[in-house]
Amino acid sequence: MEDVAFVVPVYNEETVIGSVIESVLETCPHVVCVNDGSSDASADRILEAGGYLVNHPINMGQGAALQTGIEFARLLPGVTRFVTFDADGQHRVEDAVRMLRVLDTTDVDIVLGSRFLGEAIGATRFKRLLLKAAVRFSNMTSGIRLTDAHNGLRVFNRHVADTLRITAPDMTHASEIIELIARNKYRFVEVAVTIDYSDYSVAKGQPAVNAVNIAVDTLLRKVSR
Amino acid sequence: MILIQVVLILAFAAIFVVALRSRSAHSVNAWKKIAFAVLMVILVVAVLAPNLVGVVAQALGVGRGTDLVLYLVSVTFAFYVVNQYLHAQEARNQLHQLARRIAIIEAQERYGMERLSVAESAKTTPAPEADA
Repeated sequence: MEDVAFVVPVYNEETVIGSVIESVLETCPHVVCVNDGSSDASADRILEAGGYLVNHPINMGQGAALQTGIEFARLLPGVTRFVTFDADGQHRVEDAVRMLRVLDTTDVDIVLGSRFLGEAIGATRFKRLLLKAAVRFSNMTSGIRLTDAHNGLRVFNRHVADTLRITAPDMTHASEIIELIARNKYRFVEVAVTIDYSDYSVAKGQPAVNAVNIAVDTLLRKVSR
Repeated sequence: MILIQVVLILAFAAIFVVALRSRSAHSVNAWKKIAFAVLMVILVVAVLAPNLVGVVAQALGVGRGTDLVLYLVSVTFAFYVVNQYLHAQEARNQLHQLARRIAIIEAQERYGMERLSVAESAKTTPAPEADA
């Protein structure tokens, strides 16, 4: 899988990032880790584990880190396929491999992971309800229908990598990517993936009240365009 | 003239001079400068002839002059807030693009990758697409 680059935004993940990189390296040699101004030893862990370290000089948010990682990955020779992957260990590499196969065997530009087609292990009932509401909101505002609006696992081709331009720096980027899929007319498909909600990933994840921020930002983008 | 009138007019004059003499004044939209100057004139007139504000308020059906002033201040403040918000976002986007470029150049050096020509590096941050 020389032609695949995993893009991993990293913010204060020193305890898990090493093992996440190692698990990816078993199948793919290019793991681009964007250290988004972590105050812990994430950068050292990335270098030790053998990922590419791209260092934001300041903290800019997950959306900005994804954009940086994609732009760096585009410069790696021979890379034609891209995977966005969370740093906290909630995604499974075998899901990404399956999604890469879907990208190869169909004519889609981007493959999106969906935990509602698959399993969400350890999610609370409230989290499920909130995520379903987010999906309904996203379907209403973006104009394309999905079963999961905020899944960090995505696989896409060079065309998407060259034209994607994420401007929302923070967690709103997930909604923005869906809007960009609609606007840039990328062909897309959803694939069932498994999310492992460990205690760690739940603690690191965004608080539920952040849904308000995402909704407001999404509506603001709608009126400002 | 009453003391308060003198104080207020001196304050307006000072604000006006400071605003126009600031180094960044060149980048401020000409229409905003005109609007600012008009606002200053209105303020001075309102201070010198308080009754006039009441007359204008009556004509507009607002009632008291103080109400009219309150409404105008509210609108001006809302405009200011939105304006500042957009400025802050623009500045943040520029800062992020700069930081991103630094991060990528530093990483390219770390991994001995070839530096991009200017033409190629321009491709890494495509201009926003025009709306259809």
